[in-house]
Amino acid sequence: MPNATKIQDRDELFKQMFEAKQRDFLRTLVTTEVAEEHRIAPCGQHSEPLDRLLLYFNRRPLSERYAIMTIEPFKAYRVVALSGQRGVPPKDVDNEIYPSHIEAQHAIFLRNVQELLES
Amino acid sequence: MTKPKLFGYSDKLSVKPGDLLQFYVNAEGADRVEARLVRLIHGDQHPSGPGFMEEEIDCEANGTWRVEKQVTQLGSFLEVADPARHLALEKSLTVFAFICPTRPQAGWCQSLISRWDNKEGCGFFLGISEAGRLEFTVGQGAKIDRLEAGVPLQANSWYFVAASFDGSTGQASLFQEGVLNRYNSLLSRVALVEHHARAAGRLQARQKNLAGTPFLIGGARDWQNDRGQFVSQLYCGKIDRPGLFDRALSGEELDQIRSGQKLSSHGMVAYWDTAAGYTENGIGDIVTDAGPFQLHAEGRNRPVRGQTGWNWSGRNDCFRLAPQEYGGIEFHADALTDCNWKVTKAVKLPETLRSGAYAFRLRAGEGTGLGEEYIPFFVRPKTPKSAIAFLFPTASYIAYANERQSFEAPVTQPVTGMPAVLSEIDIELAGRSDLGLSACDHWADGQGVCYSSYRRPIVNLRPKYRSSSANLAWQFPADLSVIAWLEHQNYEYEILTDEDLEREGVSALEPYTCIISGTHPEYYSERMLDATEDYIASGGRYIYLGGNGFHWSVAFRTNEPWVMECRKFGPAWKTWDARPGEYYMATNGQKGGAWRAQGRPAQKVVGVGFISEGYGKSQFYRRMPDSYHRTVSWLTKGIDGEIIGDFGLAYGGAAGVGLDRCDPALGTPPHTKLIASSGGHTDSYLVNPEVIHYAFEGLSGSYDYRVRADMAYFTAPHHGAVFSAGSVAFGQALPVNNFDNNVSRLLANVVDAFVRPGALPGSWWISEEKQWR
Repeated sequence: MPNATKIQDRDELFKQMFEAKQRDFLRTLVTTEVAEEHRIAPCGQHSEPLDRLLLYFNRRPLSERYAIMTIEPFKAYRVVALSGQRGVPPKDVDNEIYPSHIEAQHAIFLRNVQELLES
Repeated sequence: MTKPKLFGYSDKLSVKPGDLLQFYVNAEGADRVEARLVRLIHGDQHPSGPGFMEEEIDCEANGTWRVEKQVTQLGSFLEVADPARHLALEKSLTVFAFICPTRPQAGWCQSLISRWDNKEGCGFFLGISEAGRLEFTVGQGAKIDRLEAGVPLQANSWYFVAASFDGSTGQASLFQEGVLNRYNSLLSRVALVEHHARAAGRLQARQKNLAGTPFLIGGARDWQNDRGQFVSQLYCGKIDRPGLFDRALSGEELDQIRSGQKLSSHGMVAYWDTAAGYTENGIGDIVTDAGPFQLHAEGRNRPVRGQTGWNWSGRNDCFRLAPQEYGGIEFHADALTDCNWKVTKAVKLPETLRSGAYAFRLRAGEGTGLGEEYIPFFVRPKTPKSAIAFLFPTASYIAYANERQSFEAPVTQPVTGMPAVLSEIDIELAGRSDLGLSACDHWADGQGVCYSSYRRPIVNLRPKYRSSSANLAWQFPADLSVIAWLEHQNYEYEILTDEDLEREGVSALEPYTCIISGTHPEYYSERMLDATEDYIASGGRYIYLGGNGFHWSVAFRTNEPWVMECRKFGPAWKTWDARPGEYYMATNGQKGGAWRAQGRPAQKVVGVGFISEGYGKSQFYRRMPDSYHRTVSWLTKGIDGEIIGDFGLAYGGAAGVGLDRCDPALGTPPHTKLIASSGGHTDSYLVNPEVIHYAFEGLSGSYDYRVRADMAYFTAPHHGAVFSAGSVAFGQALPVNNFDNNVSRLLANVVDAFVRPGALPGSWWISEEKQWR
């Protein structure tokens, strides 16, 4: 339960309660099959479990989002975390280099899944 | 040694051979660059295409340019020229205004009305303190006194505010009163929010009016070692009918002004009537002073006019109907319409340049990353000679200029369905404020950016650039795929820009038999749209090679083609929403929003119009029965099978990103032939909300038949004709397999037919019942 005395915006209060329940449900959708489905095709038409997970991840606040940093176009990519603040650059999350943006996109998915399971 | 960073722009986008073009370059970590004129041929580095292609061009200006660090004045404000120092009041004064702050706690002190030198601490200003409270400050250098109200200002609420100061006694009073009505503010009167405040005190300091201090509305004079004089204390919000008296007005007199009564002339020094000057065709940057000295104020970085004022009644939604209710001038601390840098190089272009897209390529250090800059411009012929002209959609380039949605718009990733793919230049852009914002972004105070300009470096109007949110070449670099195709096919062609269309109307198009549009000509002024319609109706042949085209109504001033205005509202997808009553463009009085809402859907001109948008995956077209009809079967000559465009640099298909469809209910000409249609789009492609009036589950690619790109063809009067691709991704399918593919073949069939004068192929078939094979 979020702390109602610390949140001025009552809409935000409800959102936090809603998302807590949503996460409980989304955790039940995480399977090895879903992860494999994403690995094969991170973009495109997906199964309902994967779709629900992605819709949730895509709607995270900007400060909780990851992005892909191009080291060399079409050859090397890295995962970074957005700051959500104007003028504050993204931060590296690790030193892993991915040979395609697709693989970096899947790495972001796995990070999001891990954080969901741990939340 | 830090790695060099280069940024530049030119004073014009559209030029002719022999023209003089001025370049403005900001260099960090370098004092020289190697400059080279290049013609741009292909801009997308996608491995399925030919890669980046440029041609170096001989030019006297090639060589080493001396460069320096330049500074940019951000923020919109008004400046009053006052050579006779009428506004440098030495003794008593009253300063007042109606205000609607949008960001009262911006993190810095904001000046509403000032004759104040922030470095010297001299002069006076009425402003908003860092804590978001009304304040009045006077200073004489060594001594500065300020008075602050006890009640904070609420964002997006209208107030009347004033400070009166008796110079002989030092007695100062602050006057703050809410002027909320049922329409004008965020909150209504039912909210238990205090708006009323009074403060009074005896100040020790007196204003010392330095000679060089300008009188500003929305900012104050400042000075820094590395940039010299500039304007700081920038204000975020609206100001309506500010004024200045040379005596301390009483509370009763201020109450009279607050209630909208006529001002006393006794002691009036200036009274800027922000509601004066509106015409049927909009309003400019000069704000009329109705006071005795006519000290008119002039806007910098285009303060937004045509905005509702303190007395907006809600009955009228346009300044043309009730100008007296539109006195709100809106200021933004991060507005930018012209960097106003020092000229780095004036270049006389070679007389022999062929028409095309060009750039000055600048390199410093290793000449890579941020040490390489392209400043593009477009060269028209002195005299049109070709049958074909490619029309660069520069209005749309201006609209998207330096968009930073990946970093700042929560909606971007849900729309694209994928994380942003950033590059070094995106990180640089996001980290600095001096390159300005796009018409897709928000100012820091939360309002949508309604002015975008090309008199600043535009990092995404560059070859090789990939949109970070969509992870593909977008706009200019995508349009170069069509240029590369024209080159590869050895067509003789010339180029035009939206700027030419806006300036010259249909006469810019008339010399050409065939016009080819860009991949996403989304932002269109009335003159541009009229010219397109007139060209086709009078026998022109138009290839609409894009999707989501002719969508937003925009406006340009005749003498400032570098600044575009747009107002976004209504059911169309939009990255921001104009406030009620602020739908009309101050530039020319034209209604903003989508053209469809003004009775001019794109279908009426090019047969197809916007139906869906999606990312991550494109599809192919499948031939439709009409393609076998003898009047149009020439279009698909040489194409085997049913499938067209199952490849492309934009998500692997020719139908994607933005999709258009035929719709007789929106004005598709009745005799339009549907050559091919796409389908099977993912559910990330949603139906354009403009065409649905009630949302329900299933309005997306796999559920709704309307989510498709229609490839359409129709003939027009006087041997005119239109071919429409109906997809943003179409042009980016052309370069695949070294331009040897069925999209390329189909487009060549169209172009070959369109450039031949006289009757179009198939037009001799007139007996409808015999035309099906």
